[in-house]
Amino acid sequence: MTTRQILLALALAILFAAIGYNSGRFWAYLIYAVAIAGIGALSLNLLIGFCGQITFAQGALIGVGAYSAAIAGNAGWGGFSLLVAGVVTALVSLLIGLPALRLRGLYFAISTLAAQFILVYFFKILQPLTNGVSGLVVKPLTLFGRPVANDQEYVVICIAILFLSWLFLARITRTDMGRAFLVVRESELVARGMGIDVSRAKAQAFLLSGFFAGICGALFAFTSRLANPEAFEIALSVDQTAMIIVGGLGSLTGSIVGAAFVTLLPEAIERLGEFLPVAGLVSAFREMAFGLLIILFLLLEPRGLVAFVRRLAARRGGKANALAARAPAKTSNRAVTAQDGR
Amino acid sequence: MIALQLAISGIATGSVYALIALGIVLIYKCSGVVNFAQGAYAMLGAYVTYALLKLGLPALLAVLVGMALMALAGMATERLILRRMLKAQIVSVMMVTLGLLIFFRAFCLAIWGPDQIAFPQVFPSGSIDFAGIFITYNYLAAFALATTLSVAFLLFYRHTSIGLMQRCAADNPRAALAIGIHVSNQVSIAWAASAALAGLGGALLATLGGLSLNISDIGLIAFPVIVVGGLESLAGALIAGFLLGMLEAFTEGMLSPAIEEFLRGFTTIQSVGALQQVIPYGLLVLMLLVRPQGIFGRAGTERV
Repeated sequence: MTTRQILLALALAILFAAIGYNSGRFWAYLIYAVAIAGIGALSLNLLIGFCGQITFAQGALIGVGAYSAAIAGNAGWGGFSLLVAGVVTALVSLLIGLPALRLRGLYFAISTLAAQFILVYFFKILQPLTNGVSGLVVKPLTLFGRPVANDQEYVVICIAILFLSWLFLARITRTDMGRAFLVVRESELVARGMGIDVSRAKAQAFLLSGFFAGICGALFAFTSRLANPEAFEIALSVDQTAMIIVGGLGSLTGSIVGAAFVTLLPEAIERLGEFLPVAGLVSAFREMAFGLLIILFLLLEPRGLVAFVRRLAARRGGKANALAARAPAKTSNRAVTAQDGR
Repeated sequence: MIALQLAISGIATGSVYALIALGIVLIYKCSGVVNFAQGAYAMLGAYVTYALLKLGLPALLAVLVGMALMALAGMATERLILRRMLKAQIVSVMMVTLGLLIFFRAFCLAIWGPDQIAFPQVFPSGSIDFAGIFITYNYLAAFALATTLSVAFLLFYRHTSIGLMQRCAADNPRAALAIGIHVSNQVSIAWAASAALAGLGGALLATLGGLSLNISDIGLIAFPVIVVGGLESLAGALIAGFLLGMLEAFTEGMLSPAIEEFLRGFTTIQSVGALQQVIPYGLLVLMLLVRPQGIFGRAGTERV
């Protein structure tokens, strides 16, 4: 990551923050929705794209973040509630990651599916803490003793946090710890052979990823002013995974691009639907387009938009860039495929 | 007495779940693909059968045509999508089946709408009174059909040449290729059979509990139980199906009320909600920690 890239990202962040701050509620909403989804996608990509731990519990983890921020915020913790959400979610994420020490690939993924369903179930029944299915009303975030109540200010906060998260994670992935994640993804055996403590690397990945998932959830709770279990169902996990697949597994920038794509597409279809005589069908079409989007991306551009852009750039600018592309290598640990056997 | 009543309804729904679970295991054995979309095939099968019945086809014909259409749908999915993903990462394959689930759900939503539809009466109404226990003909018929088909399928798998080729392809695709078995075609057949079984299962579920998009949930609910039974064991899938049916019935009928009463004593929690949908996952977590290969799985299989 060069200084130029950081400055470019900073410029983009300031640009979008400025646009959001000076526009109406709807555009402000779109911008912070993308930023919040982007934070979640970054956190998920760290776990799936970098460390190779497939999880479907992301939605529930964002929920944990949302509820802990809501509870801390309502108790008057102000800006600390974001931190509380991050820490609590990191710990829950570590707990979900524990089976990863014994299980791999598919079986671990299924155990996270279990965590997803069980956590959402707890959101529903722990009435005293979460107010059950009707959801917990969240007071606005108070920063420096002043409640943040309008959408334009949330845009600035969300973009700032997104930028910092990106910067932090981009740094982390270039440390020894980040490199260890990559080796664990490619082969746990090799990692062990190189003297990497695989269990520790996994635990670190789960903690880090959980922290940012928690921040994402906290921002979600404060902007939507409501934490209710339905928002954190498996569908949210699927949305988040779709974002990193569309953007590119193992690419932080891609996560944000994917988050924008997956968040804005349904909005676009909804707008389009207003012009067509299909009023009752809009939600069905939106879902259908989302399903198709996932399928088509996986078939046609499995390495995501980032790889697509890199290929375009390589075609125009010659060679070097394409070689530097750090798309994840094929980690084909599916049990059996017809061509390559066991 | 209540327990017996619950057991009977649990076994009846369980037999249908078993039918759907068989398909998941069949596909996994043959191609290593975890099919989260199996519930979607059940739902689609139910809606297609409903549409055929509405067209005025006799029940038996509607069910058979529905199964045939579902077989085509399953085969098409394999040919068009999964076959191109042979070397994809495991997360991609899981996501593509989830994408299918979302797509089919939205498809049915667009055509038939979000509301529950009363399924046409296929079996005669009424019930048998057996020493104070009521069994409706619906349940009886669903049980008989599902069980017959499951057993027939297992026999087919074990005793016919197609079944033998299926087992070869599942056991060692490379060796199967070497002796001239067209492995990809076998995978197609597995998808066709699996979708057809799921389609029938979905239609039977619709006769029991009405037709709605929620039938597709069964795929994700059945999943943990199948893992508990062992992802590579057809017999395990059957037992897993029955287990799931019983678990649901007993949780809903006895365990939930008991826990609620217990909790009301000293907390403000009024209801434990849909506990029956979470219990299988709780069971799964325990199982994965204690015996990850499942009850009937082979211990030697590497879990990757």
